Amino acid sequence: MDSSQFLAIENTLFTAVMVLYLVSMVLYFVFFAMKNEKAAQLAGWVITAAFVLHTAALVVRGVGARRLPMTNQYEFATSFAWGICLCFLVFVRKYHFRALGTFVTPVIFLLIGYAAMQSREVRELMPALRSNWLGIHVSTAIVSYGAFGVSFAVSLMFLLKQGRENHDFWKKNIPDYDRLDIISYRAVSLGFLFLTFVIITGAIWAERAWGSYWSWDPKETWSLITWIIYALYLHLRLNKGWRGRRAAWFAVIGFVCVLFTYIGVNTFIPGIHSYA
Amino acid sequence: MDRLKKAGRFLCSMKCAVILLVILAVACTAGSLIPQGQTAAYYTANYAESLAGAILLFHLDDVFHCWWFVGLTLFLCVNLLACNVLRFPALRKRMKEGFTATKRIAEWDGVPAAVTVEEPEEIFKRLGFRNVTRGVMAVARPAQTEDSAGSAEGAAGPESVPTRYAVRRRAGVWGAWLCHLGMLVVIAGFGLGQMFQVQYSVYGVPGQTKPIGNTGYELRIDDFRVKLREDDTVEQYETDMTVMRAGENPAAAGASGTETTEIGITGADETVGTAGVTGAAGETGIAGTVSVNHPLTIYGMKFYQNSTGWAANVQIYKGSELLQEGVICAGEYALIEDMEGLAVVLNAFYPDYVRGEDGMPATASPALHNPGYLYTLYYNDRILGMNVLTEDEIITVEDYGIRFTNPQQYTLIQIKRDPFTPVAAAGGLLVMLSLVLAFYLPPEEVWAVQRSDGTWLLAGRSRKAGAYFLEELSKYGGKAPAGLPEKDGNKQTE
Ligand code: HEM
Repeated sequence: MDSSQFLAIENTLFTAVMVLYLVSMVLYFVFFAMKNEKAAQLAGWVITAAFVLHTAALVVRGVGARRLPMTNQYEFATSFAWGICLCFLVFVRKYHFRALGTFVTPVIFLLIGYAAMQSREVRELMPALRSNWLGIHVSTAIVSYGAFGVSFAVSLMFLLKQGRENHDFWKKNIPDYDRLDIISYRAVSLGFLFLTFVIITGAIWAERAWGSYWSWDPKETWSLITWIIYALYLHLRLNKGWRGRRAAWFAVIGFVCVLFTYIGVNTFIPGIHSYA
Repeated sequence: MDRLKKAGRFLCSMKCAVILLVILAVACTAGSLIPQGQTAAYYTANYAESLAGAILLFHLDDVFHCWWFVGLTLFLCVNLLACNVLRFPALRKRMKEGFTATKRIAEWDGVPAAVTVEEPEEIFKRLGFRNVTRGVMAVARPAQTEDSAGSAEGAAGPESVPTRYAVRRRAGVWGAWLCHLGMLVVIAGFGLGQMFQVQYSVYGVPGQTKPIGNTGYELRIDDFRVKLREDDTVEQYETDMTVMRAGENPAAAGASGTETTEIGITGADETVGTAGVTGAAGETGIAGTVSVNHPLTIYGMKFYQNSTGWAANVQIYKGSELLQEGVICAGEYALIEDMEGLAVVLNAFYPDYVRGEDGMPATASPALHNPGYLYTLYYNDRILGMNVLTEDEIITVEDYGIRFTNPQQYTLIQIKRDPFTPVAAAGGLLVMLSLVLAFYLPPEEVWAVQRSDGTWLLAGRSRKAGAYFLEELSKYGGKAPAGLPEKDGNKQTE
């Protein structure tokens, strides 16, 4: 098979994945709006299937392009959505918390939609991008952003729970504040650890490619800003008065920064990273 | 004095850290949104007058190097250091004395995560706790669930009861502390690097030897290859080079340490392996190959393949006699030695020269099909002419003819010496490892107290996993005695 055949398969898989994410999102909404447990169960199956096909799509593209599929806006957007889905599935399994899907699937769907709007052409890499560090850098970014995506969804639930504490549905399906706070914290810690890894591997790669490990390039600066926001979250949580609502706001702002670092910086600010 | 104390306390506080981090985040935002390092005229032309004034006044045109940004970073360092110094004794004490059955059980509110008839030691081992200590403690009888016998015992005052206690990953208390230390090392390494690093760049074509700043070393470019793929995109740039002490260039015997432009010295026939260092130090220097993403360290300096551009030979004729020949890179000038004041600048080079729709010169492709040289001719700083010359054309000025030939790509090597990079790298590594410690290896404690009916109350504490840790404990909690709730501990004990 030649490269174009692989890409044709990837195209089909990608479309299927998009449809499945949409279906799971609708099912999660049905679960939430109509309190329909069956819908949640089905949504769980659909999103798991979507994840499997998504993984296959990424592998097929990687084989077709003969490199890691993580080097342009399209590839990174779809990998980013994949990362959120991965973290979502892990967290759902660990914390038995299906309602999270209602808040996570829209984020995944938005990213997949964004990916669909980007060019899917496979372009050869410029020499600076041909580095093993790039692979490590981007894969860690996917996990990090995925975890932040989950913490964003959990924190939104935290914020929306107020005033609904006594609704039966919320009581039954949404963990109490303490647990929401812990889940969000666990997601942020995973994301923060990996973001630190992203920044360090990025610095090593920049040092090798450009001779300078930190040059205040807008993308670097924004990843630092994101990192600082989450460091603030971690410290604010240590303070009893700030734990909970305020920390949740920081997790939400942090994820907005993540999105800006990834999409906004490329769109609005020129820099060495503008090709990625 | 009071004020001084207050200020000192604030300096060490987390509140101060939070404020500093917020300001730094805002400063970074400004630094990324406002183009940095432009001229004052740029800001006045692109921003409203008052905004441009503010940008210049607060150095927002160079945020990351201005005094207040550096000052805030130093302030953060002092804050970090103070925080770590102050917390050190407490943490050491916590490591040594903080994890004991006596302390934990005395502080416990008596609410169990599970109640079991099984020996707790077994349960704790199943949970992964290895060293379980058995003890006896004088405690007020822990609260009994209502259906157990002898609820009156609760009020009977302290008595000796058997206890079990285990702790693991005590070293986890150092996670945040080490992370702070790592950050200090990163900032110190970066700051010192900014102060003391030296950087040079050398560019040229194969055969040229150029000094590396004032280091006393020079660099000879032996060969430069632009590897193209089938579709003409660039796969890699590679330079073979030799670094030697100035004046030791064997291939250019007699050459001075200044810019020499020997033409016709081609690269060595054998390309030196990849980024390995071959050749012996000494007279011939050290040879090696650099390519993008594969820098090379020679004589303590690090060499990077940084970029490339076009160069050509410039020939100066008088009539048909060749007076002078040398290499000129785009952007450079050549002086016509025979006529003082006459100079030619090679402004730009177009490998596949065409005239664009707007009449401006352009290149149709990166391939070398139709070389075009954009030049400017000066006489005593006055422009005599500017035009594009193609391969066989000659500019004539008085008796002189100027011609460009043999276009080739030059290589730009960046050279850097920063002894503090490893310091920053060590700090980064420490931050990474300490975060694993802080987030994934936090101390965890479990304990059990036996009730008078022989059943055990199990409880535990994990700062990181709270209720979920207790849930796990209750899951592993073994057999509950008949009639007792198996799960009783959704309350966080923290
Ligand atoms: C760039 C600066 C900083 C970074 C990256 C940083 C990072 C961290 C991290 C990752 C934690 C662990 C949080 C957790 O376990 O949930 C932490 C905890 C903490 N930080 Fe910082 N921190 C910074 C600055 C500071 C400063 C300046 C202070 C000074 C007062 C401070 C005080 C604390 C305290 C008291 C803790 C709790 C320690 C513990 O749980 O044992 N931090 N910090």
